[in-house]
Amino acid sequence: MNLGPGSLFSPTAEHDLVRQTVAEFARREVDPRAAESDRRGTLDVALFRRLGDLGLLGVTVPAADGGAGMDAVAAVIVHHELAKYDPGFTLAYLAHAMLFVNNFYHCSNAEQRARYLPKVLSGEWVAGMGMTEPGAGTDVLGMTTTARRDGDHYVLRGTKTYITNACEAHCFLVYAKVGGRVTAFVVDRDCPGFSTSGHIDKLGMRGSTMAELVFDDARVPAQNLLGREGDGIGHMMRNLEIERLTLAAISVGIADRCVEIMVRFANERQAFGRPIVDFGQIQRYIADGFAMTEAAKCLVYNVAREVGPDVRNRIGSDAAKLFAGPVGKTVADYAMQVMGGAGYCREFPVERLWRDAKLIEIGGGTLEAHQKNLAKDLSRHVRG
Amino acid sequence: MKILVTVKRIPDPVEPPKFAGGQIDTSSAKWVQNEFDEYAIETALRLAEVGGGTERLAEVVVVSVCPATKREHVTNFLAMGANRAIVVDADDTQLDAQSVAQLIAAVFRKEGADLLVSGKLSQDNESNEVSQRVAGLLDLPQATFAASVVWDRSANALQVAREVEDGVETKRVPLPAVLSVDLRIVLPTSVKNGATPEGHPYPDKPRLASLRGITMAKTKKVDVLKPADLGVSVGAKVVSRGVVAPPKRQAGKIVASVEELVEKLATEAKVL
Repeated sequence: MNLGPGSLFSPTAEHDLVRQTVAEFARREVDPRAAESDRRGTLDVALFRRLGDLGLLGVTVPAADGGAGMDAVAAVIVHHELAKYDPGFTLAYLAHAMLFVNNFYHCSNAEQRARYLPKVLSGEWVAGMGMTEPGAGTDVLGMTTTARRDGDHYVLRGTKTYITNACEAHCFLVYAKVGGRVTAFVVDRDCPGFSTSGHIDKLGMRGSTMAELVFDDARVPAQNLLGREGDGIGHMMRNLEIERLTLAAISVGIADRCVEIMVRFANERQAFGRPIVDFGQIQRYIADGFAMTEAAKCLVYNVAREVGPDVRNRIGSDAAKLFAGPVGKTVADYAMQVMGGAGYCREFPVERLWRDAKLIEIGGGTLEAHQKNLAKDLSRHVRG
Repeated sequence: MKILVTVKRIPDPVEPPKFAGGQIDTSSAKWVQNEFDEYAIETALRLAEVGGGTERLAEVVVVSVCPATKREHVTNFLAMGANRAIVVDADDTQLDAQSVAQLIAAVFRKEGADLLVSGKLSQDNESNEVSQRVAGLLDLPQATFAASVVWDRSANALQVAREVEDGVETKRVPLPAVLSVDLRIVLPTSVKNGATPEGHPYPDKPRLASLRGITMAKTKKVDVLKPADLGVSVGAKVVSRGVVAPPKRQAGKIVASVEELVEKLATEAKVL
């Protein structure tokens, strides 16, 4: 499929150059370190800072504020190309560049941008976002973390869990309820009363870390309030769209890589005196895997054209992730089946991609959450 | 100091060439930038910049001979960090090395450049001629296949080293001059300008364009000149009479024993 300038996948020459840069960076620098990061279950912070050198951490931040000034399509390109080699590392990038930087930019004031953007755009600071709680996942509005004003501070109490980058991050965008209304704050790691739990070990996406954020009457300066009290829902809903879109792009990257690996393997591996690609059962995995990968890719890139800070597209972003999420997992499974024992072993990256792929069906909204949202949004014009 | 860097588009070397009418058919080719030109631009940028800072000691101008509408590769080099570009609007597929050299020499004169940096060859025809011809046309000193270069700014000269069979040959070249570069020029300490701190962490490859570089590239100046604007009348003196694919290799035979091998070499291949 043509990914070049003018295509759905690279609408402009700039998009094409971004793809070339990220693809080359991923091949040169991410790929050689991916297996080790997976084995250790750690984020490679030095490699993460290289993303800052390349300007990738502020892909959607306007150039006047130090970013690249690009759109959701560019963000999808970055996630798609990085995820081919290390979806876990890509998830750390997503948590930083989409969940913190993109969200922060659109709900912060000039003083807050001046304080945080230079550090998070360069990669000097790693960042994350806290939404999910032990008792509130898909039911996000049921969150119980609270904040109350106390002089020139807010006092936060509660726990956030499954927070990507929590082990390394220097700051977090955190949602808490002020008088029952969801409100967003930036919380620095050295904030009194704030701590993180130990690393929560996990199946896949092991190139990024996960932990709890614990607010034990954490005193957050009032100047770290993002927008106004009660604005949090708006920030959250706007940012969930690009979060879901870029998670879907990670799934497309996983699927793309798995197709490439299984095609090569099926042509090299001989059985009964012939390459196994000659067998119909293998052909089905390859052809079906390719077709569903291309379908997911088209949907994700098409939706990306209609996602941005000033347009709402919950239907598109939910649909993209609902469809693309299972594609990554299924195609990784097909690749493993084609490769047999080789696919199951760590000699090839397929078993890692297979473990990584499952997250997309859970994080940023479960498949069931997307189904709920889509049924509700599609029924709106019928039910009035 | 003004550094001119030659850059070229080539048919993607990863894709097998197509043949039509006794020539290589590039009508449906995917065009990419010549990889050696990435080494040339990296050399020029390392000479020009003060590593770790924003100061520039030289202006870096890329020049390409290509159709004005087919200049995507030029944008790539602007995104890597060149200051501006000059495109000489001509059908590069119809020009020979001498014509290209005449055009580049004319641009060098027009710009009053101090240094021309080229990759040692382009990956399509690998002729390795243009930089040497430009040096001849301009009557300038040249150093080819550079593996390292040190800019002595006080003496306005370059000290250039290249690897030869029995060691390293070093030349001192006064500016203005012509330089062609080899692969090792991008090792972290291969290029020194006396201003970038020792130990500056250059990678061992040409740099990747940053997103900021990519978005800035479209704002950089690109001058488009016709050969006539440069007073050059182009026309290939070298005529290609025909290009054909090499004959397909015959399938080999697997023999059961050394005796059978010797027998076949003697009776069938008749090489013994």
